[in-house]
Amino acid sequence: QALPSRSSGSSILVSSRQKGNPVLACLRSIQWEYSDIPADYGLGQTTCALFLSLKYHRLHPEYIYTRIRNLQGKYNLRILLTLVDIPSHEDALRELSKTSLVNNVTVVLAWSAAEAARYLELYKSYEHAGFAAIRGQQATGYAERLVEFVTVPRTVNKADAVALVSAFGSLRHAVNATPEQIGVVGGWGEKKVRAWCRAVEEPFRVRK
Amino acid sequence: MPAAGASQVAQAAQPVKLSLPLVYQQKLFEELRKDDELVVLARGLGLIRLLTNLLHSYDAAGNNLIVIVGAVDRENAWIGEALAEHAAISMSPRARGLTVVNTDFTSVAAREKMYAAGGIFSVTSRILVVDMLTGLLNPETITGMIVLHADRVVATSLEAFIIRIYRQKNKVGFLKAFSDNPDPFTIGFSPLANMMKNLFLRKVSLWPRFHAHVAEALEGKKKAEVIELEVPMTDAMRAIQTAVMECVEVSIHELKKGSTGLEMDDWNLDSALLKNFDVIVRRQLDPNWHRVSWKTKQIVNDLTVLRGMLQSILALDSVSFLQQLDTIHAAHSPPPGSTRQTQSPWLFLDAAQTIFDTAKRRVYSSNQKAGPDTNIDSLRPVLEEQPKWAVLADVLEEIDRDLYFEPAVRDDSNGTILIMCADTNTCRQLRDYLQTMHVKPRTEKKVEEFHDPEKDKPSASFMMRRKLRNYLKWKREFAQVSATLFSENQKALSGAVDPRKGKASSNKRRRVRGGGTMGAGPGRLDNGSIGQYFEKPGEVAELMADVQMTEEEAKQKEDVIMDPMEDMDDYYQLYEMQDLVVIHAYEGDLDEHVLEEIKPKYIIMYEPDASFIRRVEVYRSSHNDRNVKVYFLYYGGSVEEQRYLSTVRREKDAYTRLIKERASMSVVMTVDDSGPADDPQEAFLRTINTRIAGGGRLAATAQPPRVVVDVREFRSSLPSLLHGRAMIIVPCMLTVGDYIVSPHICVERKSVSDLISSFKDGRLYSQCEAMFAHYRSPMLLIEFDQNKSFTLEPFADLSGSMASVSAANAGANDLQSKIVLLTLAFPKLRIIWSSSPYETAEIFERLKAQEDEPDPIAAVRAGLDADSLVEEQAFNAVPQEMLAAVPGVNAKNSVTLALKTENIKEVANMTALELDPMVGREAAAKICAFFGRDLLENDQ
Repeated sequence: QALPSRSSGSSILVSSRQKGNPVLACLRSIQWEYSDIPADYGLGQTTCALFLSLKYHRLHPEYIYTRIRNLQGKYNLRILLTLVDIPSHEDALRELSKTSLVNNVTVVLAWSAAEAARYLELYKSYEHAGFAAIRGQQATGYAERLVEFVTVPRTVNKADAVALVSAFGSLRHAVNATPEQIGVVGGWGEKKVRAWCRAVEEPFRVRK
Repeated sequence: MPAAGASQVAQAAQPVKLSLPLVYQQKLFEELRKDDELVVLARGLGLIRLLTNLLHSYDAAGNNLIVIVGAVDRENAWIGEALAEHAAISMSPRARGLTVVNTDFTSVAAREKMYAAGGIFSVTSRILVVDMLTGLLNPETITGMIVLHADRVVATSLEAFIIRIYRQKNKVGFLKAFSDNPDPFTIGFSPLANMMKNLFLRKVSLWPRFHAHVAEALEGKKKAEVIELEVPMTDAMRAIQTAVMECVEVSIHELKKGSTGLEMDDWNLDSALLKNFDVIVRRQLDPNWHRVSWKTKQIVNDLTVLRGMLQSILALDSVSFLQQLDTIHAAHSPPPGSTRQTQSPWLFLDAAQTIFDTAKRRVYSSNQKAGPDTNIDSLRPVLEEQPKWAVLADVLEEIDRDLYFEPAVRDDSNGTILIMCADTNTCRQLRDYLQTMHVKPRTEKKVEEFHDPEKDKPSASFMMRRKLRNYLKWKREFAQVSATLFSENQKALSGAVDPRKGKASSNKRRRVRGGGTMGAGPGRLDNGSIGQYFEKPGEVAELMADVQMTEEEAKQKEDVIMDPMEDMDDYYQLYEMQDLVVIHAYEGDLDEHVLEEIKPKYIIMYEPDASFIRRVEVYRSSHNDRNVKVYFLYYGGSVEEQRYLSTVRREKDAYTRLIKERASMSVVMTVDDSGPADDPQEAFLRTINTRIAGGGRLAATAQPPRVVVDVREFRSSLPSLLHGRAMIIVPCMLTVGDYIVSPHICVERKSVSDLISSFKDGRLYSQCEAMFAHYRSPMLLIEFDQNKSFTLEPFADLSGSMASVSAANAGANDLQSKIVLLTLAFPKLRIIWSSSPYETAEIFERLKAQEDEPDPIAAVRAGLDADSLVEEQAFNAVPQEMLAAVPGVNAKNSVTLALKTENIKEVANMTALELDPMVGREAAAKICAFFGRDLLENDQ
């Protein structure tokens, strides 16, 4: 069908079915407008969301399947934004997990209208965003990297890391130090020493 | 092991020599030989000894396959040693001793051969479960299973899984469980009955200290003589302790404020005295841990730090304590320019200032110099000694006198004096003290003209002066290090980042000095927290001069911090046991060994330890002809005393409750409960599955449901629960995905904390890429914990924080925005939300319906280079993670590095040239610089 052409790319399109949904009241930081779309929320060229309250789902279990069918394979990413508003959610969620696999929808859970609204806003605002944020960012400063490196064994904390490098001057010396040498560093008990020495000497490969 | 008092159990079938001298031990042993049961024995009553005797009785018979589950390394070592000893003593030719299987190093083939040969095995749970599932170790061939630390066997644990597999296939083998920790059996709803169900045991046998047989054995006429010495703390120590407690109180208050809606009524100062209140707080917050604010997390961390301080104030000498405080302060002080909101609240308190001030004043203080320039302070050493030292010296002297005036009746014990303390650091400290307590620095020569009776008193001044010298030297370097480490933040914040290193260094040098001119004593920084104080160079020099080595001191041999023990034979000879003072750290059950070996006549417990007292009692009662006198030191009114008392009380309460529960316990034991797997009805129902109503594929249900599981996943409870739901678990080393549910469905499981961390390091993104490369329907399973709240919503208000929504701010770091990005990046990725592992098992079952069973071989091959061996591509997690933290290492070259080098140590010692061929020049330089950077030099 023809979407209203005036619709600018910067606002969330909302189906008129959603009138009265408290989520709309929480949509504050991004513009939204009513529009005639098959989904509940249009979040970009290829992204849409259907809204489902579990309370409603319990009363009308077939509703959501009709809605998914009506999407007719449009949209690349189809979010099933599910509001968990009943305490016994297990059965419904089990069913939705299976549904998501069969019907090509992605289930996203929200626990309040505000959280649901935030998801909508996030989808819209990230429409053109890159994925650098989830591809692993590296800590920047030497100190952070150093602390990160030393605190990988679980028992070692930040203060220990500082104590270690200040005792040995450089990381290389710390790595090469014997357990006895590390043991005299303040704060380094036997457990920590053992965890650290094991970590630096443990081979990378598990050999079978 | 000395066989004194060893008794021979008169059983014709097994003529083995046992070393269980006490009546209660023998009773317990007989009970254990007869029945399968859970034994909860009070700490210190010799659990391991009982166990080794029991094991030996089986070992000597030969032809056994016994598996020990849940033993830690130390216990393994001791059990192995004890078994060998037993075998030698009772000369049983068929005893084979203990085989420890604890790493993946032993190859599959070798393990199979070992199991086939039989004997006693102690196997790490993760390996054992895989071996049992793959049939490498057929459960039916096991003669018996011994479970140690039975208190840890909760329903979802790996050990419970192992026991279930064992009992399913093997109904005749014995099963005995041991624990020395009654506490976990008393927490929750009918905990004992639940535990028994997990352990598949019917009978429980409780042996508290107040058990009639135990009391009778230990409180006979051969009671050990115990002398308690309450040592008062110094005023400074008490002041610091009070101040730390105040910080704890405020932190707890902040916590309550910061996370409303959580149950925290019982958080108060009293519980803060307990051994691990930070752990308790953490546990209470745990259900909501992924939701609490960053600040709350920080405060919980602060609590750990503060608890550490409470311990070290008693354990460390004043100089080391100050040094530790300096380190803590440097690590926790915020980057300059940050606001009050972002840092630990306790640093803003007056109490924190008290801690730092008082700790400093214990080491040196400033006094006003008379003269023209009265405003210049000079520093002089104070060097407060730990009060216990003097008491220790007194006790040793008393023992000496004792020995001299009334030479003890000759008995079997050596004249050795054994000093027990909490850890090796304290050992080192005491050794230092005892070695140097009679060395006098002689600084005030004029005063010592006349004979001073005080002069002969032992003092730690020599040791303390040496420590202070080292401290001052360290402090100078440390100032440098922390300036180098933390100046980067400052630079970044001030915005004037100078790319040229040369210039930056000159800045830095100025800054260090600038810090110095801030004046002595901790000043407050702009943002109100306590600043790190650095003394003026002049003052330090003065102080240094003050503690300069005197001639007397120089005569002492160089301080040996550690003995390399390399050419021991050349330089040392054995001392007579008679002349020895042995200092040892508490080591749980191993202490028994120490007592047996040293046979001390005098024991000084430098720190209280309830179970060690029992060990002494057991030791004393086991040996008729050995006298022992125990001195017991503790600081009055200290955390140490409180902790000791509460441990004793808690243990007694726990046993009382256990005994009550046992009396009223209704055990519906279904040892025959083999799970639904063998149920013929179930099997029938499965083949005519109702879900195929529409004329579905019968083939899919003809074989039992199967899930391929990555071996690393056995740390979680899901495999156990899947097994409980009658699925066949196929453990494999998977490169892509964690669970392969069907030929097309691949699931990556993430707990909430995993999810956060794998978003952070980008692991999840590459895992998703890999899954999409090999499977049609990849799924991300977000699994919440059973008792965790099933929501991702943070406590903070979401609305209004829309600054973070703007597209420019794509690095927003809350979980929601990351999930959004992930689904945008992989529109075909399906997400399963599961409120608990139990739920996940059900979801899996549903997902598998009408799907074909997965092929393990295909699953293993997925994601591997076709030409390389499977085994070579499995990596250990910890070093891998460390490698990822090194600058210059990315997802690609880390694999190359891991394949071409051995371990972190090797990488750290490589030069840029050596690294170059593996990772490229740029990365090589970065890696090399990271490890090699010398913080003591300015110009790096």
